Amino acid sequence: MKKNIQWCHIYLAVVLVIIYVPIVAVVVYSFHSSKLAVGWSGFTLDWYKKLWNNHGIMEAVRNSLILGVVSSLLAAAIGMAAAVAMAGRHSGSQKFMENLAMMPILIPEIILGMIFLSYFSLLHLPMGMVTLVIAHTAFCIPYIYMLVKSRLAGMDPSMVEAARDLGADGTRAFWDITLPYLMPAVLSGSLLAFAMSWDDVVISIFVNGPRLNTLPIKIYTQIKTGVTPEINALCTVILIITIGIMIVANAVRRRGQATLQKSQQQ
Amino acid sequence: MKKIVAAAVVTALGLGVLTGCQSKTDTKEMVLYTWEGVFPQEILDGFEKETGIKVIYSNFDTDETMLEKLSQSQGKDYDLVIADDYIIDAAVQQGLVAKLDKSKITNFGNINPLYQGQFYDVNDEYTVPYGAGIPLIVYDPAQVGFEITGYEDLWNPELKDSIALTANYRVINGITLLTMGESMNTEDVSVIGEAGAKLKELAPNIRLIQDDNTQNSLLNGEAKAAFLYTSQVTSAIDANPELKVVYPKEGLGFGIMAGFVPSQAANADEAQEFLNYILEPEHYKECIEAIGYYSTNKAADSIVNENLVVPESDIKGEIIQNVSTEADEAYNKNWTEFKAACN
Repeated sequence: MKKNIQWCHIYLAVVLVIIYVPIVAVVVYSFHSSKLAVGWSGFTLDWYKKLWNNHGIMEAVRNSLILGVVSSLLAAAIGMAAAVAMAGRHSGSQKFMENLAMMPILIPEIILGMIFLSYFSLLHLPMGMVTLVIAHTAFCIPYIYMLVKSRLAGMDPSMVEAARDLGADGTRAFWDITLPYLMPAVLSGSLLAFAMSWDDVVISIFVNGPRLNTLPIKIYTQIKTGVTPEINALCTVILIITIGIMIVANAVRRRGQATLQKSQQQ
Repeated sequence: MKKIVAAAVVTALGLGVLTGCQSKTDTKEMVLYTWEGVFPQEILDGFEKETGIKVIYSNFDTDETMLEKLSQSQGKDYDLVIADDYIIDAAVQQGLVAKLDKSKITNFGNINPLYQGQFYDVNDEYTVPYGAGIPLIVYDPAQVGFEITGYEDLWNPELKDSIALTANYRVINGITLLTMGESMNTEDVSVIGEAGAKLKELAPNIRLIQDDNTQNSLLNGEAKAAFLYTSQVTSAIDANPELKVVYPKEGLGFGIMAGFVPSQAANADEAQEFLNYILEPEHYKECIEAIGYYSTNKAADSIVNENLVVPESDIKGEIIQNVSTEADEAYNKNWTEFKAACN
């Protein structure tokens, strides 16, 4: 038995090393004085200074954040509404809707990008943040739809019935009972959608306008001249922010649980 | 949740209004459309400071994406495009390129005539060359027991399992054709077939094939010789001056990155002012040293890093051009079989 546990530890260590060593390498080389990721020739903070002075990249970060937040929220609203509306329907039409809703994930991104490009050109819609938000919302909806749908399936219908029984109308029952119950699924779906939007290149490159760049486009289009260590520096900053958010989220959750326990004890 | 949804809708609408308003501002500007990193930030800032024209830097990933977006907007939206020779040829043929007003580009004479009059712009009406990309052989003389002078030497059995190769199928086919005394752009399928057979004989010498940071394998000793893109050649030499660059005796396969103004550009004058600005030798030096391409600006040759000026006696070669579908298929077949043989 003891031996088994040791093997488990070794296996875990190998997996962690494989996953995290590349990330550590990015962080280390963001402080490397040479442009090349070979050997070690000295420590520098120049890449961070360069990153800070590169308004192109900083603006792209801002655009990506706006795009990710807006499109994941819109997708959350639409995807949740669709899932709730479909919940009580005939199973045949439900299956059909489900397939329809999954389309944006199943269609290859490059095709979807081309479709959006020619569609928006047809409508004479100027390419820019609006077209980006529409496209990103469209491919984000399935993630939320699927998560909310499975959470709805596990919901006890008697809860809504009880609310209605106590005099709440349909809207009130939705806001007070259904929505809070679905919230964890909506939130995790939105996070997933945000991640999808945040790193999308293929679709964005087709539908973005002449005046706008997102961060992944900036990074991806460096292939011609070679990716610079500025990007390593940026990754490090994003990594630190992500870890920070995780720590804060954990702390908030723990405090929430603590107050919950307290109120239960009283 | 009500508030969140409302906030999202308001933000989306607000953004729509904002993007709608942006084009109505009065400040002078121009939209530059090219890969990220093709112009150093200092140049963009310097240009804005000197002329008051704001450069909006927009990016594409491949030449093909650029052409698609340009033809969807019918030559509008963008004021200056920097792209590769073969795609400019296609853009000119689709009527998406405007003729330059050379009276506005007073530095036009600085361009090295060797890089002018090419197939995509025979009369120099549409384009200003920005830099030349010339893949070259780089090797470590301490590790290779003989002198490499041409592509043919890559087939030398002494280099078994020690060559790093970039992954452009037309260029690799092209250098094989050059060793056979043929054109890099031949459309003769039987000749291409022969080149395929010869290319397969190269497979035992290949250590790796990759496009990104190929020079690293040479620097960390994994490969003894490498066939590298221009910017990789420059950064390899910078990191290890002991390495030797070979201008292959069979001739060079080069490509030209050039700027053009789309046919319906709203700010064509500003775009040409920018072209004029970068043709100024001091500005050009900054640009070309940042991207590590070969200089196409004769007036700047004396001041740019000497590694980026091709010795005049060595400039003989060909540009890779578009070929017929059958020929292209044959090239692709050679490449696939070659890669399979390498594994």
